[in-house]
Amino acid sequence: MKRLKRDAVLLSLIDNLRAKGSWCGETHIQKATYFVQELFGTPLGFEFILYKHGPFSFDLSDELTAMRADMLLKLQPQPHPYGPSLVPWEGSNLIKEHFPSTLKKYNSQVKFVADQFGDKGVAELERLATALFVTKKFESNKNIESRADLITKLKPHVKLNEALDAVRTIDEIIKISSDINEVI
Amino acid sequence: MAALCHDLGHLPFSHAAEKELLPDGWDHERLTLEIIRSAEMESIWKEIKINSDDVAKIAVGPQKYKFGDYSNWEAILSEIITGNSFGVDRMDYLLRDSHHAGVAYGKFDHHRLIDTIRILPKKEGDSIEPVLGIEEGGLHSAEALLLGRYFMFTQLYSHPVRRIYDIHLKDFIKEWLSEEFLSINVEDYLQLTDNEILLELFNAARDEKQKGHDSAKRIVKRDHFKVLYQRNPKDIQKNRYAARAIFEMACDKFGKKNVRIDCYKQSSNGHEFPVLTEDKRIVSSLELSDILENVPIAALDYVYINTENKKKAKKWLKENLETIIEIREEEKIEAIET
Repeated sequence: MKRLKRDAVLLSLIDNLRAKGSWCGETHIQKATYFVQELFGTPLGFEFILYKHGPFSFDLSDELTAMRADMLLKLQPQPHPYGPSLVPWEGSNLIKEHFPSTLKKYNSQVKFVADQFGDKGVAELERLATALFVTKKFESNKNIESRADLITKLKPHVKLNEALDAVRTIDEIIKISSDINEVI
Repeated sequence: MAALCHDLGHLPFSHAAEKELLPDGWDHERLTLEIIRSAEMESIWKEIKINSDDVAKIAVGPQKYKFGDYSNWEAILSEIITGNSFGVDRMDYLLRDSHHAGVAYGKFDHHRLIDTIRILPKKEGDSIEPVLGIEEGGLHSAEALLLGRYFMFTQLYSHPVRRIYDIHLKDFIKEWLSEEFLSINVEDYLQLTDNEILLELFNAARDEKQKGHDSAKRIVKRDHFKVLYQRNPKDIQKNRYAARAIFEMACDKFGKKNVRIDCYKQSSNGHEFPVLTEDKRIVSSLELSDILENVPIAALDYVYINTENKKKAKKWLKENLETIIEIREEEKIEAIET
């Protein structure tokens, strides 16, 4: 996907997340973008690795910084312990106005992710995104317990029961997203 | 060892021509990995009982290492070298470039900064991970580092004349090379240094029959292309890719060989990190520092024109700027993006 179209999708995702009550720190946007890209195969072109707070894309981090430089986003500090929010800025509406077909094309995916994850905190997003990462990386491993076990090894601060819940939830979400993909 | 090896893979003249002189999927970090794992280096690692992959992983960091995930400790060790906030690579190049360029913008109290760096838990809501942070007493040194980086970018690294010489150098090397790209074979790659390039550059500048003569002569005779357009916030608000649109139209009007473009934006800026306060609480740097909250992101867009076309091109741009940068319908925008 070309960069301006991708910017329009990211800005739309941020709008939808905010509408669902997300404070839209970079980690929220990282995980939500990961879900949009990996659950639906949306061609955003970001490379995610398992890093801080779960799947993380340095390309996306650089793109968000570039969007701030180009006045599409603005950093808004939040009281401790919350990190700063990224909020749409002066140029964001113009970008969205120029890509109605792109936004329409990816609207269901963006709305689904915002609905499912918009109200979640960083720790829960970390568990769910790591569960999706593990599930996609080790596709042959369908066993819930072994995937949960792997999550606790990769992220030692995640408890086994939390990891089990995350894997079960993500399995359900994958199923629903597959149904949506078929309709699209 | 990882810190010492961090920059091994740089091309002659460092970043100047990296993107266009290496094949797709290659950059200096990947070459660093190749050199660390080369037969020559393996014998050293064996002698001092170090695993080359451990060195490679820490040396280039998670952004560039594609062969496995990072534990918390590996992430911290790598952050000490390559980190956005306090990486020693950053500290080193700011101080060294300031010294050698004869400017004071990049200087800061690195002794105080290093003394006050700590591994601290970074909280995001209810999630915690260990990262590099700082004691409150070192906050002003950290501010000086991050402001210094901004000033170095805007005043030195992004200076239009410095940037156009990178472009002329890149043009020269591309024309001079017999192959499309530099060799990525470690042995061959290490044979090519700044000295070899400089020698060839001066030879080419003197002899119009040699490949790369025009670009080499421009460097040697200080006859560089001049700025036709530079980034303007008003234009960016109308079209994020205003410079690209101008470049495309200028190429059509004055010919590709007479126009060059240069766009750069600072990557993630590292302004947010945990601070250990005097009363042992951990607070975000953005809460304690109004300065860090407001340091701008360095960004540049330049379109250059051959000196011979400058007057005509300036007039043309003045008359047509608004039309050129006007954002077009969805399909046409794709054509001006890269």
